[in-house]
Amino acid sequence: MWSYIAKRLLLAVPVIIGVAFIVFAMVRLIPGDPAMVIAGQAATPEYIAAIREDMGLDRPLLVQFGLYFKNLAVGDLGRSIRSKAPVTEEIWARLPNTFRLATASMLVAASVGVGAGIVSAIRPYSLLDAAVMVAALAGLSMPIFWSGLMMILVFSVILGWFPAFGTGSLAHLVLPSVTLGMTSAAIIARMTRSSMLEVLRTDYIRTARAKGQVERVVIGSHAFRNALIPVITVIGLQTGTLLSGAVLTESVFAWPGVGRLLVEGILTRDYPVVQGSVLVVAFVFVFVNLAVDILYAVADPRIHYT
Amino acid sequence: MIAQGTDATTLDGHLYTDSPTASIMEHMIETLFSFEPDGRIVPKLATSYTASADGRTWTIKLRSGIRFHDGTPFNAEAVKFNLDRVLDPATRAAFRFLIDRVTEVTAVDDTTVRIVTNAPFAPMIAHLAHSGTGIQSPTAIRRLGADYSRSPVGTGLFKFREWVRGDRVVMTRNDDYWGEKAYLDEVTFRAIPEDGTRVLALEGGAVHVAVRVPPRDIERLEKVAGIRVDNTSSLRTIFVAFNTQRPPFNDKRVRQAINYAVNKRAIVGTSSPPTGALAGTARISDAPIAPNVQGYTSTMTYEWDMDKAKALLAEAGHGRGLSFTMHHPTGRYVRDAEIAAGIQALLRRVGVEARLVTMEFGTYVATIRGPKAIDEIQMGMLGWGCITGDADYGLYALFHSTQWPPNFNTAFYKNPRVDALLDQGRTTMDQSARDRIYKEAMKIIMDDAPWLFLHSESQVTGVRATVQGLIVHPTERMVAHRAWIRR
Repeated sequence: MWSYIAKRLLLAVPVIIGVAFIVFAMVRLIPGDPAMVIAGQAATPEYIAAIREDMGLDRPLLVQFGLYFKNLAVGDLGRSIRSKAPVTEEIWARLPNTFRLATASMLVAASVGVGAGIVSAIRPYSLLDAAVMVAALAGLSMPIFWSGLMMILVFSVILGWFPAFGTGSLAHLVLPSVTLGMTSAAIIARMTRSSMLEVLRTDYIRTARAKGQVERVVIGSHAFRNALIPVITVIGLQTGTLLSGAVLTESVFAWPGVGRLLVEGILTRDYPVVQGSVLVVAFVFVFVNLAVDILYAVADPRIHYT
Repeated sequence: MIAQGTDATTLDGHLYTDSPTASIMEHMIETLFSFEPDGRIVPKLATSYTASADGRTWTIKLRSGIRFHDGTPFNAEAVKFNLDRVLDPATRAAFRFLIDRVTEVTAVDDTTVRIVTNAPFAPMIAHLAHSGTGIQSPTAIRRLGADYSRSPVGTGLFKFREWVRGDRVVMTRNDDYWGEKAYLDEVTFRAIPEDGTRVLALEGGAVHVAVRVPPRDIERLEKVAGIRVDNTSSLRTIFVAFNTQRPPFNDKRVRQAINYAVNKRAIVGTSSPPTGALAGTARISDAPIAPNVQGYTSTMTYEWDMDKAKALLAEAGHGRGLSFTMHHPTGRYVRDAEIAAGIQALLRRVGVEARLVTMEFGTYVATIRGPKAIDEIQMGMLGWGCITGDADYGLYALFHSTQWPPNFNTAFYKNPRVDALLDQGRTTMDQSARDRIYKEAMKIIMDDAPWLFLHSESQVTGVRATVQGLIVHPTERMVAHRAWIRR
């Protein structure tokens, strides 16, 4: 197991380098002169030239690339061009918020999704099943910027139950995490349902029932545990979706996280911020994938890693 | 609690470039002079000034007995330190250009500062009223270095308390303020980027003020009890520059014809109830600069006249139609893309086909100011906020022939008479003489029509009815200096 984890960690290195390379190339492929955008309306050509020099944009691309990697190797993501603060500092200030949101959303998605999926699977093709599946389809189809605004309108403006935006108390977390978790909950529900249905048709479930085992145990420990593998895969994949969905959710709910930092970075051509944020998200994604693979072994003793 | 679209970029008063940050800074940091909402420029940290006869030496008297929030005394040395810091190219002060004609700043005695410029420069005092030249505590700047941008120290009505990145800046009342103290205990600026959320936060009562209410929400919001919608004119003028150096727009008649063909009333929406892309929230330009700018006079408008447009086009040899491209940004100015489409539709009615090239602003601004702009751009939409409130800034940068791209004369306009007048306006010290000079210059510019003159934008702000005394400044700043909340 440990050698497997070490191997996977080593394999993550080229992935991260690849991402770093792609991000570097991508931000430079966006048309438009970042120095001009950052300098603002009134900037004189001299000021723009000075900014360009600060950003190292006056140097050949290869030199820029070399410097970028050299700094990256020692964990230096550069300084934000807009705020002039170190990018690592900008990201650290926001990363806990993004984690909080992603974790809460994942909890919402997993509990609602798995719960709804099991309920559907127990009574397949019933009215309840149809209702859950329609709700799942709706959850999947609603764009975050719309559902988010609706949540604010209903639960904040009309009912006044939860704050509409920003961070602070636990209550601040409710609306954004439910909005963000909804889409993933829908996918997880559908996956749980089909996986459960498949397992419920197997011989060992019939055997368990024939033995006179109570239904709760049949569903809970015999069927569910075996149906869990594809569900874990989906949950793992959804973590990536949650991180990218966070970009939208954070904007709608004015949530000060990495996603919004990224959006603002792109809009203002703040190269170091864009590079840094994408790298951090990629980093998290790689580790979540690894965690998912390890969880397989926990859920299914037949899976061994060597 | 005030909700803006973006968070502060930096809290160093010399380094920011955007107006949301300026709104925050002006609560903590003060300038030598102040630009009042009605366009007047009055002393603030200064008490008076005199200019030498040649217009190159300015002697400024300062208020005495003022201390920065950290206890450092405010004096001539502090002013010198700040102006020198802005002038030092290594500081990278974005608004350095406002005072870049200054060659020397001297602290004559504790309450007197002398500023020498390399040429007579009439807008000097207006430029010292811009918050980019604010006076900050020299002690704090020296002590904190780069970290100063996270804990600003000024002399203003409010003191810095905390900055939660991406979320909010909180300030508390300065009880040692040198003048009449603020009424509010605390002012918070929150960043809520999504328009819909910002408006909902106002409706739900979570914030007291929401800036930039989108035109589509105005009518609805006005009907909500407990909320009022303020419509304040801004100093930002929106226009489409013609490339006056290349056909077809090197012909004045074509430029005038386009001006006649575009019905600005339809765009601004002056009918009642308001219609049009802007729902009545803008003011049709009757000069190249907005009202409230010192030097503004109502000059003329091109009233919508399709026959006149057609006749002028025919006279210029385009009787059988004309086609060209028009570049415009999207998402930068209020409803910019919709306005461009409106112009396209209006021009079609006089047989003119404008092909629209839509760009994201970052790309756009690099293109229209790029080295190939003179050959590539025929018409380009742009906005110009005359942030100093002085006509020099609103005209010189846009119409003087030395200011072609990469500067901002994107019309490549060149008229020797206008050049001469703008030079004169810059060096004439007497304000009424300057007004006359600018009046003549604007008359020539309007007639030459290097732009399709559109409108000056309005700032639409949603405010809880309990909020009193809030000022929405024409420079696009929210000023809560004298605001209070009625219970």
